[in-house]
Amino acid sequence: MIRAKLVLDRLLILICAVATWQVCSFVFGPQWFSTPWITGGRFIASLLDGEILHHAQFTLAAAAAGFLVGGLPGMLLPFALRRSPALTAMLDPYLIGGYGVPKLAVAPLFILWFGIGLGSKIALVASIVFFLMYFNAAAGVKAVSIQLLDMARIAGASEADMARHIIWPCASPYILAGIRISAPYAIGAAVVGELISSNQGLGYLIQAAAMDFNVTAVFAALIGLTVLVVGINWILDRTERWLLRWRRTEATRVRRFRAAA
Amino acid sequence: MNEAVTARPIKISERGWGGGSRRKVTLGRILFGIGCLAIWQWAHARLGTEWIAGPAEILGRAAELARTGELWVHVWVTFGEALLGFLIGGSAGVLLPFLLRLSPRLTRALDPYLAAAMGVPKLSLAPLLILWFGIGLMSKVVFVGALVFFLLFFNGLAGVQSVDSRLVSMARVAGGREWVITREIVWHTALPFIFAGLKVALPRAISAAVVGEFIAAEAGLGYYINNARSMADTVGIFTGVVLVTALVIVVNGALELVQARSLAWRPVDRDMVV
Amino acid sequence: MSHSGRCILEVRNVVKVFPPRPGRTDALLAIQDLSFTVGEGEFLTLVGPSGAGKSTLLNIIAQIDTPSAGEIWFQGRPIATAFGNALRPGWDCQIGYVTQDDNLLPWRNLLDNVLFPLRVQRRLSAESVERAKMLLKATGLEGFERYYPHELSGGMRKRASLIRTLVYDPPVILMDEPFGAVDAQTRSQLQADLLRLWNLGRKTIVFVTHDIAEAVALADRTLVLTRAPAGLAGEHLIEIPRPRDLGNIYTLRGFAELYERIRRQIQ
Ligand SMILES: Nc1ncnc2c1ncn2[C@@H]1O[C@H](COP(=O)(O)OP(=O)(O)OP(=O)(O)O)[C@@H](O)[C@H]1O
Ligand SMILES: [Mg+2]
Repeated sequence: MIRAKLVLDRLLILICAVATWQVCSFVFGPQWFSTPWITGGRFIASLLDGEILHHAQFTLAAAAAGFLVGGLPGMLLPFALRRSPALTAMLDPYLIGGYGVPKLAVAPLFILWFGIGLGSKIALVASIVFFLMYFNAAAGVKAVSIQLLDMARIAGASEADMARHIIWPCASPYILAGIRISAPYAIGAAVVGELISSNQGLGYLIQAAAMDFNVTAVFAALIGLTVLVVGINWILDRTERWLLRWRRTEATRVRRFRAAA
Repeated sequence: MNEAVTARPIKISERGWGGGSRRKVTLGRILFGIGCLAIWQWAHARLGTEWIAGPAEILGRAAELARTGELWVHVWVTFGEALLGFLIGGSAGVLLPFLLRLSPRLTRALDPYLAAAMGVPKLSLAPLLILWFGIGLMSKVVFVGALVFFLLFFNGLAGVQSVDSRLVSMARVAGGREWVITREIVWHTALPFIFAGLKVALPRAISAAVVGEFIAAEAGLGYYINNARSMADTVGIFTGVVLVTALVIVVNGALELVQARSLAWRPVDRDMVV
Repeated sequence: MSHSGRCILEVRNVVKVFPPRPGRTDALLAIQDLSFTVGEGEFLTLVGPSGAGKSTLLNIIAQIDTPSAGEIWFQGRPIATAFGNALRPGWDCQIGYVTQDDNLLPWRNLLDNVLFPLRVQRRLSAESVERAKMLLKATGLEGFERYYPHELSGGMRKRASLIRTLVYDPPVILMDEPFGAVDAQTRSQLQADLLRLWNLGRKTIVFVTHDIAEAVALADRTLVLTRAPAGLAGEHLIEIPRPRDLGNIYTLRGFAELYERIRRQIQ
């Protein structure tokens, strides 16, 4: 009963939104707002002829490669620094400073150095993801319980045992959170790179359509992008919950809307 | 017991005693900074100005821009866009979660749409907004406003939803009206979340303004950088990037000051990064 | 040395000072010049008020902390000194430690937690698993093998951490209030079980507790520690013959008097 009411409510909101859109395109003219139906048709058509998929692939490739290039070192660095608090303290202000640099503003430099192809997008994504992953992994390393390490040592664990049985499980919630937080940023950064200068990718698709004053195509590309991000978020959320199923449910009960990183 | 059967010795320093002395750390920091500058200078000398502008050239360009007054125009335009967008989008983003709290039914109904809205990379809206609002100030203000709105809205919502229901019941029992509860309990619970959002949002507002200017503009730091790029003026790109970074640092510092004052009641800075 | 067995563990003039930290200006003297010996196969209990420094002492013996002065001797050799700079926790699995907190791995289920030491010592065998299951059964944890720690009660976690140490059979076991969070019935049951197990293998046990009755009921000898800084306030040989009937121990002659003497020393 309550469930049915909720579904009804949601349906109502959807109808209102579509109606508002329709009214807007009626009032301002479809050249500015397109219409829900034309946009939906255009989205499905470009999905079928593979256009959106082709560009989404490029964006995804840039985001994923940047994630590896930047995220992996960012994730491993705190582990490498775990035993040297002095070195950590030394690097700290530089890492915080690097985190503060507005990376999107640096994008033109990356384009200058790596060209307008995949390389500059990977560099841009990597420069953002590196810091996000570093700070999350560092929090994870800090969260490793000294008591559990002591217990394991007393029980005769080797360094490798401790890495596997204590350090990784203690740090993994933070690292997974880092991955989940960084993923939308990675895609967003790839898209910005493509907006500024590219000949492929969803960002390019949006920018090219906007230059053509083709609002329908802009909307269709935006829908594709949103589906991509929401899908990735969903997959990561599921994976995380599955990997962390040992945590008490209260802690895993993911708050629907997280505070920004 | 046989000495040869060795367990794994752990260094005392690993356990946090006798860690490196402060002086050594400071010295290390300074050396590292000098090393970075040296590498930069070396790379500049090696690769040439067209790839990497040197620190001296950048300072020179900045000084020149400041002298002609161009610098202040660009900084002012970018900062103005960011600030206007921040104020408009920010106040809406802060207010809305409090209003939504009054209708749990609406909040629950909106849930999937909000999740989808969270999924849209806001930065990708720039071309559309420029199409709608032109290449001037307006499009950037709307763009920054949308970005800041969503950031603060989701942070505020997380804050409002984390209110301790026992405190609310207590206040109801004590006779508090909805307004009192909002002011005395919800507001204070949400405030750290809002500040966390503000802290992230303000530098991002500047970034967003710059990205908007990259795409189409007539003035501003992003415009200056993009213009330099189209003329293969590497020194110009570097100078612009340095100026944007400086602007962000100044703004961050100001925000830090404000936050330190208004959250004085909190014993420790709770970590907002999940 | 009041016990018949030869000395296996000796605490010599141990001092522990916790250095000042930012926000806490003065150093804290937790243990002051403490000396005693433990005989092989002896069941030694330590009683003392909360904050006396009992856990600190066990940490030092277990080699997860260093003494500020003094030495720990184990099997005739010094294993910890104030100047040694390398700790070897558990001294190659020779000293087991049931800590005050259960320290179970939250990401492993009960059985895996109990088998953890055997796994990392590469001694996991069908036989040892059987033994672990036997111990779980004996302590009423049967049927909970697949539960994660957060799904167990405090007392169950305590028992699990006890079994985790018993299962790999170190010659010396340190126990820090292992029965702290258990109800009275389970507690006397566990005490009886512990005594029975101890009788079989005659391990050396150093057992810390708040509970004077428990200290007397289990021990060959009881040491009373003073309020921090911990020092020796008294030593009592418990000459109640074994095997003991823990249910009736309170009625035995001499128990009440011993209890009273210890209680007064703790004050
Ligand atoms: N790591 C530490 N740093 C500073 N002081 C400590 C530390 N650990 C313990 N102390 C201090 O040493 C004293 C003894 O602590 P300890 O934990 O050994 O007490 P205890 O006898 O085990 O008490 P309880 O019976 O309550 O467990 C306490 O005053 C405590 O505050
Ligand atoms: Mg203790």
